[in-house]
Parts: sequence; structure tokens; C-alpha cells
Amino acid sequence: MLAALAIFTVTYILIITEWINKMLAALMGGFLLVLTGILTQQTAFNAIDWNVIFFLIGMMLVISVLRETGIFMYIAIKSAKLAKGSPLRIMMLMFLVTAFLSAFLGSVTTIMILVPIVMLITGELKIKAVPFIITMVIASNMGGAATMIGDPPNILIGSATHYTFLDFIFNLTPPVVIIAAASVLLILLLFRRNIRVSVQNRAKLMSYKEQNLIRNKRILLISGIVVALMLVGLALESTLHLGTATVSMSAGLFLLAISDRKRVEQVLVNDIDWVTIFFFIGLFMIVESLVKTGFIDTLAEQVVSITGGSPRPTSMAILWLSGLFSAIIDNIPFVTAMIPMLEKLSTYIPDQKMMDPVWWSLALGTCLGGNGTLIGASANIVAIGIAKRNGLKISFREYTRLGILFTLVSLAISALYILLRYF
Amino acid sequence: MLLANFLDARTIHFEPRILPREEVYLHIIKRLCQKHHYGDQSCIQPTLEAILKRERESSLTYPTGIAIPHIRMEGLADTLIGMTFLQNPLDYDGIEVSWVVLILTDKSSSKIYLNIVAALLKLSQDKELVAQLHSLPDGQAVIHRLQQLGIVVGSDISIRDIMISDPVKITPNATLGELDSLINEHKLSMIPVANANNRYLGEVNILDVLKVGVPDYLMMMDNLAFLRSFEPLESLFEQEDKLKVEQIMKRDRKTLSPDASIVEAVYQMIQNRQRYYCVVEKGFLVGVVTAMDIFRKVIKA
Repeated sequence: MLAALAIFTVTYILIITEWINKMLAALMGGFLLVLTGILTQQTAFNAIDWNVIFFLIGMMLVISVLRETGIFMYIAIKSAKLAKGSPLRIMMLMFLVTAFLSAFLGSVTTIMILVPIVMLITGELKIKAVPFIITMVIASNMGGAATMIGDPPNILIGSATHYTFLDFIFNLTPPVVIIAAASVLLILLLFRRNIRVSVQNRAKLMSYKEQNLIRNKRILLISGIVVALMLVGLALESTLHLGTATVSMSAGLFLLAISDRKRVEQVLVNDIDWVTIFFFIGLFMIVESLVKTGFIDTLAEQVVSITGGSPRPTSMAILWLSGLFSAIIDNIPFVTAMIPMLEKLSTYIPDQKMMDPVWWSLALGTCLGGNGTLIGASANIVAIGIAKRNGLKISFREYTRLGILFTLVSLAISALYILLRYF
Repeated sequence: MLLANFLDARTIHFEPRILPREEVYLHIIKRLCQKHHYGDQSCIQPTLEAILKRERESSLTYPTGIAIPHIRMEGLADTLIGMTFLQNPLDYDGIEVSWVVLILTDKSSSKIYLNIVAALLKLSQDKELVAQLHSLPDGQAVIHRLQQLGIVVGSDISIRDIMISDPVKITPNATLGELDSLINEHKLSMIPVANANNRYLGEVNILDVLKVGVPDYLMMMDNLAFLRSFEPLESLFEQEDKLKVEQIMKRDRKTLSPDASIVEAVYQMIQNRQRYYCVVEKGFLVGVVTAMDIFRKVIKA
């Protein structure tokens, strides 16, 4: 057990500090466990949640074809124009658009599409981009928390538990809608001293021809239908018994098959984030070692002995602790390790209904906690990277000042929600 | 290609007797024909006649004391060399010849023949070396000696031979404005960046200049169809005095060595879809090579 724990700890330190590439660290840790005989190769491979892996690949395929239609850029630019060039209104609308798109595309993809557009718009309006970028990052992590497919922690939880796509919508979308509404109010409060924009610069924004972005209406229509079918498939997943990965892969493969043949290879090479896929594979292997060696059992017993196995304090502890941890470390490795712990914990709780608030607390805590600091979630790191490449430095302090505020508000609302709805 | 690799010990001979020219040729031809299984009269006699005819038309001797008779044969598809070192020199219209090298080559391969002749001529200028070759015991020793010397047939052309040496260049602290005028004046799409000592630092091309007006976030978008105009690009000239070459130059572009072969340059150009390369030797800029140079000087020449 000690050797497994040592490999786990060293690997997680390497992943969190990114002293070496995350994927490399996770895979090296995973195969080191096999080399040292802690896991057999078969056990290690069996630990990989192929539902998560293929679900992610399927979604990446769908998104890459959807991006090609130009619909996301269209929505972003249309919103900015609807705001009539008023910076505050743009910020609030972009917040909502980001949260909404993140719920379906995932936070990282949404940020990669929207942040460049907002930088262009703020550049044309000659106003500061940084507050827009920070509020959009926050929105992306909130939106991701709302559905099963929005954020990697939710995908992991959804795959490991019996909860369905609809369970996530019924249990997580309501609190996220409340949190997002509260956040828009917070933006209004924080940035109410509206920044002036010249008529001339506003005219530039209003002259954007967003209708040119939709080049192929046929593909857009087909993709729209396929995505709608995919969502229906996910919603009916528990009755159809298909598995979420099969639903997303079917949608992705179909869209790929009808798109330009030359693009297929390009999509497979460039648009599927293989680094993330292999990072997940490595993580699954590493966490399995803790399960196999009984470390997770010991940990779960400890938690039960502290909380007495009562769901209410357990939920609150999970919510705030995962919020705190996700703010300071990447939330994906955190959730991967937490899932087997909660699974073990559920064996100590007689009424399985009582596990619901515990799982939802984990989902809300990890997704929303990611907003706490600059490095809490992948979307944050990606956004800061884009800003930096364009000569905009967002300091740890500048981000955290806003991040902490929004995180505290969202975790407080989540705590209230959990307590009121489930107890 | 090494000259030694064209030779065969069995076709290298040392002749102590005094023989007429035709006899010398005949012996060499016999040895060549024997070795290559043309051992009948259909090989020997016509070849000798062809050589003698060729000799009547133009001189085959060189002032350094070497005679290089040769003929091109239809369908030979090879290059065969036989040689004789004469202890008693022959008199060719006043030139004393002590080394006869006979070359049989295919009708189509003129280049190899010319290159071999050039290599032999160069060898024959070295009196000491020629004397040394004469004193060797047998053909094997001659081949061995030539191998040691590393005598090559035809120096293959390298980048150095076709590059633009002393190209237009710019220093890293020049302004964007100065760069623009150089590009304009010389109609260049790439300019190497070097310091005052001509040390290579990088290169800057026309796309690097245009990139000044296109921020990174624009490059991240899937599609720019909604944007009809973009101020930073249109007012690029405003940056002319503010920006220095070092801020936009690329330091990590691949360069070529002047000793690189033409085929390597072409390979790099196709592989990296890049039509220009700076040529750098020991850290110093020595030239620029373009795809057009290669096309003009190699393909068309």
C-alpha cells in the first residue's frame, strides 16, 4: 500500500505542479504501477472507464463539426450586437452565453471560442478586456456544472454512478441557474460604473456581418438535428440502455461521415484532444492502485468515523472541501480520486437515497470551486494563456480577487440549496 | 563517388616493354573485354578501331603526360576504365606520355566521363604522386592508394555553388520602416537578420511583417467572414517607427549549411513548404538560397 501511495503522491504532485507534462506524468505513474507489480496490466486496463473516454472523443467529434458551421461565433457576435455596444450589457450577455454554451460544449471549448471574440470586441471598442475574460471564465465553470456533459468532473461522476443525464438536469441545473442569476447581479454591482465607448467605435462593432459566418446552412441544419437527437438520446439513456459513450460516438461519427472527406483526417489528428484523453487513461490507472491496495477503504472509514455516516454533515464537508481543493488544484484528478471514496462511503449508508446530496455536493463543489483561483480549472488556464499570447497579463491577484468572491457566493448558494432541497 | 570504385585491379597494368601505341591500347581493350565477357573479336577489334579513329580526329593527350583515349558505345550502360603505366614513355607529337587511361562509356552518360577525366587530369598534375603510382607493385596497390587519397569523381554541386552570396540583410535593431523599404526596394519576401559582424540571428519575412497587424486572438478564430475591415492591419504603417526587427523576427527558422547538397535543400523546401532558406556556416550568414535559384541554375541549366 505504501509503494502505491508513494507513486500516487509523486504523480499527483507532478500533475498539479506541471513540472512535466500532465499526460506524461499520469501515464508514467500508471505504467509504473504495472512495472512494480502493484497492479497487473489487466487490472490497470480494466480500471479505465471507457465510457468516459469514448464519451469525450464523441463530444470532441461533434463539437469540431459544429464549430465548422460558425454557429458559436454567430451567437457570440449577435449577442454583442444585441447589447448595442454597451460594455456592461455585453459583459452580462457574454456571461450568460458562456454559461449556456459551456453546459453543452464544455468549459474549455467555450472559452477557446469566445475569448478571442471578446478580445476583438473589446479591442474595437477600446476598452479593457481583462474583466470580460475573468467573468467569462467564471461563467464557463458555472455553466459546466449545470449538466452531465458540461464539465469533466460531471462526466466522471455521471459515468461512475447510476445518475442519468436527466438526474443531472433536475438536480444541478436549478442551483446553477440561481447562481448564474446572482452572478449577473454581482457583475452589475461591481461594474456598474459604465465605461464610455465612442460612437465611432461602437459603429465598427455594429457593422460586423455575422450572417456571413453561416456558410453552409445544410450542414448547420443537419448538425442541429443530430445534436438534438443526441440530447434526446442522452435523456432517454436509462430507458434505452445504450450508454452515454455510444450516444455521443454515434452522433460524432455520423457528423464526421457526412462532412468533407478531406476533413476527417484533420479532425482526427487536430480536433481530438488526445493529450486529455490519455491524461484520463493514466489517472484511472493510478487511482485504481489506491482502491486495490485498500487505501480508499481506510480513508472512507475515517470519514465515516468523523461524520458518523450522517449524510448532512458529509454533504457539507464534501461541498466545501471539494470547493477548496478544486480552487487550488486541478479538479479532474481530484474528482477521479474522490469517486471511489464516495462509492465506498455509500456502503456505510443504508438508505441509498441519502447518497444523492453527497454526490451532488461533490459535483457542485468541484465545478464551482474551480473558479477560486487562476489555476482551479482547465478553462482558467486556457483563458489566461490566450490573454498572455495577446500581451495581456492577468495576475494571480487580479484573478483571485474576483474569483474568490464569485466562488464564495456560488458555494454558499449551493450549500443552501443542498440543505433546503435534500434535508 | 570515389574514383577508386570505378577501377578494377585486373585492368590496371604496368608495362616494362617498349610497345607501339596501338599495342598498348589493344592490351587494355583485351583486358577490359575479357573481364566483361566480351572476350571475342566483336568486342576487341571494333573498339580499337573506334579509338584510333577518335585519336585521328582530336588529340587525346594532355601536357601533364597522360593520355585518356575514350569512346562512347551504344548500349554499354556502364563506365569501364583500364590503364597502363609505361616504364618507357611513348612520344605523342612531342609530349611524353607514361600513363594511358582508356575509358569506355555509354552513349548517354557524358557527365560521368567528363568528371572522371577531370579527376584524372588533376591527379596527373601531381608529379610526385604520379611517380609514386608508377612505382607501385600492382593494380590492387594503385586502387588502394587512390582510395586512401579519397579522389572523388565530379565534385557534387552544393548550396554554396548556387546560393546568393552576400544577400541583402538587416540588423535586429533596425525599425520596421527600414525593413519595409528594403523589402520594397529589392522585391524580397524574406530578409536574413544578422548583426554587424555578420553573425546570423534569424530571419524576417513578409508574413512576419503582416502579422504585426493581426493579433493572436484573430488567428484563433475559425472564420473571419464577419469582419470586413480591421483597423490594426490597415494602420500597420503607424508601427513603422515603433517596432524593431528583433521584435518580429523569427529566431528558430531552419537554416541550411553551404555544404548541403541540392537534393537536401529541395527536400527541406518541400518538406517544410518553405521556398527560402538562409545559408549559415559556423554561425555566420553566408547566403540565401531560393527554390527559384535551384530551378534556374540546376533544372534549366
